[in-house]
Amino acid sequence: MFNAAKFIDETVTQLSERIKGVAIMGVSGGVDSTTAAILVNRAIGPNLRCVLVDTGYMRKNEVENNERMLKKLGLNITVVDATERFYDKLKGIVDPEQKRKIIGELFIRVFEEVARKENAKFFVQGTIAPDWIESGGGLRDRIKSHHNVGGLPGKIEFEIVEPLRDLYKDEVRIVGKELGLPEELYGRQPFPGPGLAVRILGEADPVSVKIVREACAIAEEEIERASANGEMSRPWQYFAVLLPCKTVGVHGDVRFYGNIIAVRSVESLDGMSAAYSKIPQAVLERISVRITNTLKDSVSRVVYDVTNKPPGTIEYE
Amino acid sequence: MSEPTRIYVVDNGGQWTHRIWRVLREIGCDSKIIANTTPVEEIEANALVLSGGAPRITWESPKLGKCTDYLQQFAGPILGICVGLQLMALHCGGKVGPSDIPEYGLAKIRIIEEDDLFKGLPKEFHVWESHNDEVKSANGFTVLAMSDNCSVQAAKHLEKQYYGVQFHPEVNNTEHGEEILRNFAAVVKHH
Repeated sequence: MFNAAKFIDETVTQLSERIKGVAIMGVSGGVDSTTAAILVNRAIGPNLRCVLVDTGYMRKNEVENNERMLKKLGLNITVVDATERFYDKLKGIVDPEQKRKIIGELFIRVFEEVARKENAKFFVQGTIAPDWIESGGGLRDRIKSHHNVGGLPGKIEFEIVEPLRDLYKDEVRIVGKELGLPEELYGRQPFPGPGLAVRILGEADPVSVKIVREACAIAEEEIERASANGEMSRPWQYFAVLLPCKTVGVHGDVRFYGNIIAVRSVESLDGMSAAYSKIPQAVLERISVRITNTLKDSVSRVVYDVTNKPPGTIEYE
Repeated sequence: MSEPTRIYVVDNGGQWTHRIWRVLREIGCDSKIIANTTPVEEIEANALVLSGGAPRITWESPKLGKCTDYLQQFAGPILGICVGLQLMALHCGGKVGPSDIPEYGLAKIRIIEEDDLFKGLPKEFHVWESHNDEVKSANGFTVLAMSDNCSVQAAKHLEKQYYGVQFHPEVNNTEHGEEILRNFAAVVKHH
């Protein structure tokens, strides 16, 4: 069995030996980066400067909530609003791999700017095993370029430290729990770095962000409520995706031509394989009604994804 | 206390290579992932698992490195997973080729013969698959399991301690996967 206490001891020792001076770290408020940040914080204390990048592709209220929560955990945190830079670079980009690479590179450029200011030679990130496995290399085929591995630019100004590189999500959660993180944090569903940009198929423009952000919020709220009241158990990951095609609908006897939202929910241990969630029909219906009514000007239809991994991946791009 | 069984994972570039390593550690084995180009004399293990991977067996077998050497020269039991099984079958004179109906994700297998690998397991259960090719005929092997779309889901060599599975016991969604790897580790112990 995985021994979290031993892992924490060994990792903190290694980190304090390796990192000299100031280190900056990319954090999102998710399980991986927060757990890694706490480990580094134990190793080098105030020399750790965490940077939360607002990419413009975060979920509803996420930046504010995560900043507050990370501060509460005693981390030294700066929020960088890079929304316009991300929107600008992704303008007209529809290829999923190109999107991921642009996002990966822009993340690093933002971190480099902070590192120069802070005179940091080390950069920490919360990379876990599936990130580098799926990013490919050598014999392994690239399934998708994870922003923190395959999406990294060739030339980088600092040394990268990845304390959780060999762990899977479920092991990270055990470490997070052992470190004393609150359940709402170590039990959090995954949200990948490219964020809503890979949940908008096609160009991830600001208008589409608004649509998918609201749809994601509704899907999350309904599923979490149904899980809290015992209708179902909370899935491993659940979200909404904006599809780039339109279908005909009817609103108050008037023709409506709008987009499709796909709802995705899966059960998994580590994200390396997954089965689609058998969500009760009543819950799916509530999600559908709320999305099509709330987003009446853009969404004409909601579908539920019944694909396992493989053959599908969990996220769409 | 006796030393833990040392089972190394030969990496053929699979998405789940790392998972084989993880499950082996969880069931108490000593394990490490090695490149499939590692010379056989450098491998100090009691047994090997040949991982799956993207290489297509019929035209990309050079990508499988020294796996054939391991089959010829390695002294302990070997478990081939996915392309690992296909290579074993091919090496022993069997036939492999593209599946008429490839399987991805959920499939149900039926156990034909329990043998070592399926000891104590139900006769039918769900497994996770991910293959484009399959074993068409396995000379010198007993077929241990099949599915609707693939007639060789598991096999054991009649003389040597070669075991193979087409599905992925290392994947969490596969039912009884951990037990299958435990059963393999038990064979190694008694070897």
